[in-house]
Amino acid sequence: MLDIIRFVISAALTLAGLFCLLSGVVGVYKFRYALSRVHAAALLDTVGILLMLLGVIVATGFTVASLKMLVVIAFLWLTSPVAGHLIGRLEVTINDELSRDADVLDQDYVEQEKVPETTTTPADDTQEEAQ
Amino acid sequence: MEFLGIILLIFVIICAISVSLTKDLLTALVIFMSQSLAMAVIWILLESPDLGITEAAVGAGITSLLLFVTLKKIHAIDIQKASEKESRKEEAISDGENQA
Amino acid sequence: MAKIRPDYETSWFGRLMHWLENGSTALDDAMTDEMDAHSRDHLVDSEHHHATQEHALEERRHAALEREQRMYSSLHQWASTKGSRLMRWVYIVASVVMCVGIIALLLNTAANLPPYGDPDNPVNNEVSAHYITQGQAETGAVNIVAGMILDYRAFDTLGESNVLFIAAVTVLVLLRLAPSRDGKPTTEMLEAEADDRLYEPKHDMILQHQANLLVPLILLFGIYVVMNGHISPGGGFSGGAIMGAGLILYLNAFGFRKTERFFTFRTFQIVSLMALAFYACSKAYSFFTGANHLPSIFSPGTPGMLFSAGLIPYLNIAVGLVVCCTMYAFYTLFRKGDM
Repeated sequence: MLDIIRFVISAALTLAGLFCLLSGVVGVYKFRYALSRVHAAALLDTVGILLMLLGVIVATGFTVASLKMLVVIAFLWLTSPVAGHLIGRLEVTINDELSRDADVLDQDYVEQEKVPETTTTPADDTQEEAQ
Repeated sequence: MEFLGIILLIFVIICAISVSLTKDLLTALVIFMSQSLAMAVIWILLESPDLGITEAAVGAGITSLLLFVTLKKIHAIDIQKASEKESRKEEAISDGENQA
Repeated sequence: MAKIRPDYETSWFGRLMHWLENGSTALDDAMTDEMDAHSRDHLVDSEHHHATQEHALEERRHAALEREQRMYSSLHQWASTKGSRLMRWVYIVASVVMCVGIIALLLNTAANLPPYGDPDNPVNNEVSAHYITQGQAETGAVNIVAGMILDYRAFDTLGESNVLFIAAVTVLVLLRLAPSRDGKPTTEMLEAEADDRLYEPKHDMILQHQANLLVPLILLFGIYVVMNGHISPGGGFSGGAIMGAGLILYLNAFGFRKTERFFTFRTFQIVSLMALAFYACSKAYSFFTGANHLPSIFSPGTPGMLFSAGLIPYLNIAVGLVVCCTMYAFYTLFRKGDM
């Protein structure tokens, strides 16, 4: 009886995790703006990994391998959201028309993040060499 | 388990072919990274964990990272401004209408 | 006195001897003389230094040079018009023939290979059987792969670490900006640094807090993988790559100033050189003893303990340090051009 309950719980968790990961992939392809794509990738990746690995932990029982999988979950929860945050911050730095793509709540932060235009780019170097 | 191996091998072949055929260098790099990840899983399936750890650390980690930094150094990552992207899309749409 | 050949200087043998002695042909000398005369005419009014004898010699030299130039120019003309078309056809035909030839050869070889896993294969000889049965007892390593690459075949792994070292030195030679003489950064270095982190978020609080938590764990895990190379899968190469990745994360989160507090160019020099020298000193005797394996003073010990398996843990540490320094050096040389 306990085996059947364990099997059903682990199967449900694994399938839910698989569904989350697949939705993340579909979202990365279908969304229009970069910030929405980052949202889909980072969030759904994290939750999908959690559900899937929890399903595998329930299936294997209480061994050393399950402790290692808990450590893997902690590591991935530390790195995936930070990666999404960094990509979002880069998008704010680069995108010129941010108010068209997203609701800007703090315009001063956006101004401060922008890169100043007075830097040497390769185009300037070749022009100087030609002269 | 053999079925998973066959699927992963076909994925690796498709990734390798598409790395050569892509025009954008950044896209080629990301496909190369995913191919390295699939190779790491294949090494585990073939019962050699040494190679699996090394491929995951070196291939999917360090090599791809170094190639990204190389792309940045040769200025091959073009940061398209949003207005340029819109104008390019409009040009493509008008060209398609003129041809049709 | 024997007869002196009058046209020695313009003959083929004369030109060959002239080239052997002086390192340049008459055409090169004429070009340099012309360039010197050109610059002299611009600076100073040229005076007449010619005597009649020198004048005659010069006339003969000019005639020979005219012939040589005509020959070269006709050759050059042919090469640029008809020669290039011919070469294109030759290239296309030769490449197709070579490709088809090599494909046919390889397919034929693959078709005639012995069946996979056959016990009569040349691969399944007594050497691999010896490695599998006696490997753990002779080397003391539970991980037979580590025992093979660091004990039976340690000399080959020395070559691999050498290749890594050479790659790091090559990248240093190609990409390193000239270090400043008085300790202050040069303009090139400042420009490279400003150009490097142009579009990246600087001093990100979230990234710094996360790196504070993760970098010690990554480095600890890397050291664990290196030290347990002879007990569990891993070893020097993968552990070194993990340690290098940890250092790269620290660099990305905190910037170059804070990383240079503990990892400078001098650190890289000393660590990678000493590690490689240690490996070479302990295993390079194979040059002199041929294929004979000297009995080492480190006994194999009980398999499974951390400090067993003879020299293998120490060699793993050496390889891990070389790989870690190399990976970090590549990354920071590509980013900034200096360490």
